Amino acid sequence: MSVLIVSIISTAVLYAVSVLYAAIGEIFSQKAGVMNLGLEGIMLMGAVSGYLVAVHQKNLALALIVVILVGAALGLVFAFVTVTLQADQTVAGMAMLTFGTGLSGFIGNSVAGVNANLAFQSFEIPLLCKIPIIGPSLFDQNILVYAMYIIVPVSMIYIYKTRPGMILRALGENPATLDSAGYNVFALRYGYVIFGSAMTAVSGACVSLAYTNFWSDNMTSGKGWIAVALVVFASWNPVIAVFGALLFGAISVIGVDIQMVSSTLPSQFYSALPYVATIIALIFTTGNFRKKRSAAPAALCIPYDREER
Amino acid sequence: MKKKLLSIILAAALAVSCLAGCGNAANDSSKGSADNEKQTGGATAVSDLKIGEIESYVINDGGWCQATHTGLVNAMEECGIPEENLLTLENIAEDQASVQAAAEQLIDEGCDIIIGASTGYSGYLSDMAADYPDVTFAQWGTETDGLVAYELRSYEAMFVAGYVCELMSQDENTKLGFSASMDEFSVRTAINSYALGAKYANPKATVQVACADTWYDPDKETQCAKSLIDAGIKYMGMEATSPAVAQTCEANGAYCVGYHVDMSQYAPDAVLFSFTWNFAPIFKQIFEDKAAGGEMKSLYYEGGECAQLTEFSDLVPEDIQQKGNELKEKIASGEVQVYAGPLSDDKGNELVAEGQVMDDATILLQDFYVSNVDCAWSK
Repeated sequence: MSVLIVSIISTAVLYAVSVLYAAIGEIFSQKAGVMNLGLEGIMLMGAVSGYLVAVHQKNLALALIVVILVGAALGLVFAFVTVTLQADQTVAGMAMLTFGTGLSGFIGNSVAGVNANLAFQSFEIPLLCKIPIIGPSLFDQNILVYAMYIIVPVSMIYIYKTRPGMILRALGENPATLDSAGYNVFALRYGYVIFGSAMTAVSGACVSLAYTNFWSDNMTSGKGWIAVALVVFASWNPVIAVFGALLFGAISVIGVDIQMVSSTLPSQFYSALPYVATIIALIFTTGNFRKKRSAAPAALCIPYDREER
Repeated sequence: MKKKLLSIILAAALAVSCLAGCGNAANDSSKGSADNEKQTGGATAVSDLKIGEIESYVINDGGWCQATHTGLVNAMEECGIPEENLLTLENIAEDQASVQAAAEQLIDEGCDIIIGASTGYSGYLSDMAADYPDVTFAQWGTETDGLVAYELRSYEAMFVAGYVCELMSQDENTKLGFSASMDEFSVRTAINSYALGAKYANPKATVQVACADTWYDPDKETQCAKSLIDAGIKYMGMEATSPAVAQTCEANGAYCVGYHVDMSQYAPDAVLFSFTWNFAPIFKQIFEDKAAGGEMKSLYYEGGECAQLTEFSDLVPEDIQQKGNELKEKIASGEVQVYAGPLSDDKGNELVAEGQVMDDATILLQDFYVSNVDCAWSK
């Protein structure tokens, strides 16, 4: 039994991390007032660029750097369109989605069906991995998962306990005030959008270089959208996002397990479970339940224009 | 002004990159042959045939579309049809507008045969067939009005796969796994044939099924394989598109039979051998019949070398390899029938009586699981 529990938790953690990079990146971006709906496209670009480097250079560190750079470059384009040109963020996000999906398929053509045989391998952390159940499921993972253990608390502290975090929150609530106080709203938004996009690209690398190890068109199969949903689900809070991601991961893993052990329900029922969970969670996290602490940044999706102050 | 100019340039750049992306949609060849005079009923040279294929995805997807495309290319080579006589349309969605537009484009280019590589096309192509009597619409799947259907007896190879897996696992346990995509008739055929093969090796063998409930999702496929392995299963078959199952097996010390293409390169320590599609002999027959100008069969349903298994890897011991090969020969010669009676389903109903063999129509549209399949939702 404990083997099964370990297996469920460790798979759920692996799944959670592959969407969390994108979700936390998007939290930063949205806290700064820019909504990027093109996560799926950026993830695919991250996945394909990392895989291309893995195939041709056989170097994971280099692959990760390239992934981050590709994500940052796409973030720069997105920031230029939404912050400088003040384009509609929803439309620009859709453009990013189709652009990323198409371009990733195009440049990934040469490595579709090619095996890189190079992935982030899991390794045990001494001592910690000896803890029953938690040890083997949490501390026998790959480096991208361990990095997430640090990223979550750091981003929490950054957003809620530091001065730059306060500025970040103000950026999404009332950029005009920040501008009057002498901060460069445009530069800050550029920075957070680029950071968010780079994190999203790392999510893509989790898919092609850790969770599985191949490249195929559209291989993220909707993870970018789950990340977008997680941001709202988590009320823009990285720690809640962690629980949300784990919940999604666990539900989808358990579905297959129950299906096998004992049940007379059709398999489609289990495939629907994550969506049922989403609806239940949304009931509790939105609407009347959350009226008092509506977490959506007030200036989200509103391009900042100095002349309209 | 500056902003406007910039946005125009940006929009133009985006448009150009979009166009670049869809550049290879149709390998447009000799436009001059548009004056397509076809002799109805009369014979033409095979090498003059022009073939159009409609694919639901890209032709180098490492799976289904690639198999269809490779089959076409090989068959054309054997028939001496020049390469440029093949027109390929990729990424055609399974809706009426897309399918009809694609087919009309191919007919405009003078195609004599149109290959619909996805089951979802059959209804729309069937509607069009009446309007274009000179064009042959060949469609993957079961018999449909106005279409020439093609299918291959994949169950023969799956039977061998189950047999070999059971021989490999015999001394450990009698439970094999099967990582399935959808609960659908063609998938059920694969599961049942695999289970019957296992039973042929060991009457007590059972097969546990995990269903991803999607045609393509590496996450779900990984989870299915993982769940099977957690349940103590060491050998599994699959009907899944991505290499995720094979990689999960390799990471957890289990073994599997690859699917669609040779998957051994993705997981050399887990893939025993792979099930692959070989459409070339069927397409060759379709081309020849079309060129001869006579009546065409409504269903080309072939086995033998069509349902191909790749070479056994070194993971399979020599004596088991030999037994597997012997079984292949016995199936080819008709000595062993996969769906021979007595056969009952998992609820105990009789499917085939002793001494009889299941008919092709039932084999093609299986709505049952055989007795040794352990599939929770079926009970």
